[in-house]
Amino acid sequence: MIDEDLAEYMLDAASKHTPVLAEVRLESTRCTQLALKAGQVDTIASSQDAGMNVKIFFASGVGFSSSNVVSKAEGLRLVRQAVSQAKSARRKSPCTLSAEKAVRTSWEVRQKKSLADVTTEEKLDYLRSLDSAALKTGVKVQGRYYDLKDWETTRFFGNSEGSRIKSFIPRMKVESYNLVSAKGETEQSMREWGGSGGWELKDEWNLLEVLPDEMRMLKKQIEHGKRVKPGKCDLVCGSEVTGIAAHESCGHPMEGDRIQGREMSQAGRSFISEDMIGQRLGSKYATVIDDPGIPGSYGYYAYDEEGVKARPRYLYKEGLINEFLHNRETGSKMGLVSNGSSRAESYLREPIVRMGNTFVAPGDFEEDELFGTVKDGVLMNSFTEWNIDDKRYNQKYVSREAYFIKDGELAGPARKCTIEITTPAFWSAIDAVTKKVRFDAAECGKGDPGQGMSVFTGGPMLRLRGVSLR
Amino acid sequence: MNELKEISQHVVEVARSAGADDVVAEAIVTEVKQVRFSNSQVDAVNSWSEEHLALLVAIGKKVISSDIRTLTDLDPHARALVSLAKKVPPSKTYEGVAPGRFKYRRNPVDGRIVKLRDPSRFVHEAIAGAEGFGANNVGGTFYAIHERVGLASSGGAVGADESTAADLSVRAFSQPEASGHAVCCTPTLTGMEAKKTGERAGEFASHARDPVMGEQGKFDLIVDPLFLGSFIQSTSSMLSAMRVEISNSMYAKKIGKRVASDEVTFIDDPTIRSTTRRAFDHEGVPTRRNVLIKDGILKTYLHNTGTAKRFKTKTTANAGPLIPSAYGSAAQPMAFHPVVVPGDWNKDELIADTKRGLYINNTWYTRYQNYSTGEFSTIPRDAILRVENGEIVGAVKNIRISDNMMNFWKSIDALSRKAQDIYWWEEAAPPSTLPTVRAKQMTITRSA
Repeated sequence: MIDEDLAEYMLDAASKHTPVLAEVRLESTRCTQLALKAGQVDTIASSQDAGMNVKIFFASGVGFSSSNVVSKAEGLRLVRQAVSQAKSARRKSPCTLSAEKAVRTSWEVRQKKSLADVTTEEKLDYLRSLDSAALKTGVKVQGRYYDLKDWETTRFFGNSEGSRIKSFIPRMKVESYNLVSAKGETEQSMREWGGSGGWELKDEWNLLEVLPDEMRMLKKQIEHGKRVKPGKCDLVCGSEVTGIAAHESCGHPMEGDRIQGREMSQAGRSFISEDMIGQRLGSKYATVIDDPGIPGSYGYYAYDEEGVKARPRYLYKEGLINEFLHNRETGSKMGLVSNGSSRAESYLREPIVRMGNTFVAPGDFEEDELFGTVKDGVLMNSFTEWNIDDKRYNQKYVSREAYFIKDGELAGPARKCTIEITTPAFWSAIDAVTKKVRFDAAECGKGDPGQGMSVFTGGPMLRLRGVSLR
Repeated sequence: MNELKEISQHVVEVARSAGADDVVAEAIVTEVKQVRFSNSQVDAVNSWSEEHLALLVAIGKKVISSDIRTLTDLDPHARALVSLAKKVPPSKTYEGVAPGRFKYRRNPVDGRIVKLRDPSRFVHEAIAGAEGFGANNVGGTFYAIHERVGLASSGGAVGADESTAADLSVRAFSQPEASGHAVCCTPTLTGMEAKKTGERAGEFASHARDPVMGEQGKFDLIVDPLFLGSFIQSTSSMLSAMRVEISNSMYAKKIGKRVASDEVTFIDDPTIRSTTRRAFDHEGVPTRRNVLIKDGILKTYLHNTGTAKRFKTKTTANAGPLIPSAYGSAAQPMAFHPVVVPGDWNKDELIADTKRGLYINNTWYTRYQNYSTGEFSTIPRDAILRVENGEIVGAVKNIRISDNMMNFWKSIDALSRKAQDIYWWEEAAPPSTLPTVRAKQMTITRSA
């Protein structure tokens, strides 16, 4: 239960210090974590958390203070501490915030079957069934680790401008680690499925088929996969590869706080600067959207942590740099309003600019049409090793599942196909995009201390012409 | 501290009375102050306070843990968890809690860190230090951390511990693509060299000016302790017996075998004075100095009570937190303070002795194709300095190291005599004491 009167008390106390803005958040979360290691129960954990924070904005600085003790006395202490901290910042350039209208609302994600009503035994049975399904393939799976986490979060947000927002969001995720071996070699698979909703999410994931298919696929990669001859050829990216590229080389470099330097000593800066809006970065087929509003998505939210309504943001639009991700502070610095990108992992951490669900917009190709004009190429369906530099310009993806394309037809498996490419080169090489968009769940890392954030990455299949592979 | 110990003892008694066979309770109170800065000014001053009790209970082999997010009125929580334990299926691999009554070292804490009200002055000193070396844009983080712990277990462990830390991270830019990074990690405020840390970052940024596109090929790499800290993260994690159990480690089946060059001795030592000095692990076993790799030969994995029994050995007192993280079990063995034993070179000698190489300040985003074989890549950042015929001849950019982690450790042929305490964000973690090292003939790649 959230004590809204406590939030009002804290906002009153904060307002007496006449800040530019005061924000108060109260939160309560129930969480269960289970893990199965090599078929055996490894971990069962259950917790209930509650806490609150205060964020104070003065022109001279920002102060944020949080605690997991929920009481009036602690609320008053947090307010005093945040005020004192904000005053100690002594910024050279004043802190400004975009003007946003006050909102009074509540929102929730509904569950068909409540996560809280599913017993531990039921959840473990589900993990056991995944393990059995992997074993029944007959593939030698040396490493088997599955974990399931579900959590339900109730929040209350209020600010000194009159916003009052209540929310409830349940989320669940499953992570798998498998090491498949054959012919004395191994291939690794680390995957994640997640969403907002109830126990019904597992039915959409269909892991009883997906995981065994993954084991069989990895075995084929080991037994029949051949290395790609290094050089230029066409590349078709499956939606998993499309999604990671959208997240890493569009979503991150388009974060307003990164562009303005706030993450410079951690996740880094961006090769994109404020004055590059409207510049061409990719082909006309490169449209990347971040939309927190996708129902059931892992990155879903209706209002952000500053009370701003979430909406789709067209980051790259038909190849042009179009719109950055902003909170009230970064938006204000560019003379804009927030586009609802403020998120926090929990009440303990300061909200910062984050992605929701980042994906490439669909095109008009059917999937089988994409290969037709590819004489010599590779389909990279999924990836294992990946990384990108801190300005988000040089990225690398190594395939987990890939196939050669010869004269418009899929040929045998291509093993550990690697693309190492700049961001403009990747997005400029696209000449065809399929109709169907698929999503993957991921934990996005950013902030200091690091805040893991639930997101979707995704998109359709992309065809890139003449890129270097090895 | 005694209060936290008593709380934990009381919870153990309540859980035992409710029917638990095994109980470990760890009461933790953490106070953190943080200053975030960028563009050479403070962005925000943050603080957070947490008090909670990590509780593990077992009835036979039925085990469950919980993070109880309060330290008041704990009895109902403890009883509820025991009731839940009765309903969960047994974990066949559960091996009980560490038996024994232990004596613990007392760790000194710095009252000045505990009472620090305005940490911003360290940030301003660091910015000035970096600007003094030509930096025009400086960012980073300053942390002051105070943690108190009380632990009790049904095995007989009862203890209290306390630690303080001041961590400063400074990244300085002299040009948009020329930067340097330096850190200072100390358990006492007198050890906080804010200005010098800024100066080191600024000096790197100055050397990194006007970088040119890096070349692909084989290079000898001289890597700063900060860079090595990123490799320590994944390397030390793969030394956890839990990672070995699920074949998620290049160290599986390698005990007694060569896993590094004979120059490399790798220790986990939470007993030395550092920001991660601790008296006991999360099962209450007194921590100790563990030699994991000696002269390049793998001697032991990191163990808790359970993994030690399954591997037919003794715990190394490396039980991790009772509350699991992703891909991690409750009490999963973890390194607390890795140390790479220094060698006998100084930094200038390392450079003078290198014909074709790169001196690298920092790296990030180290990712593996396959943990069981060690293929990885990582992206150097901040100063990447080209070394030719024993001299630094300029800076490069846009390169990636694409190689094998076992190969990296086996390729080390020289280590500096000076080591530094390192901790940075999520990359160079856990806090470690590391020298500068040289690895021969590593593979550099770049975007085509």
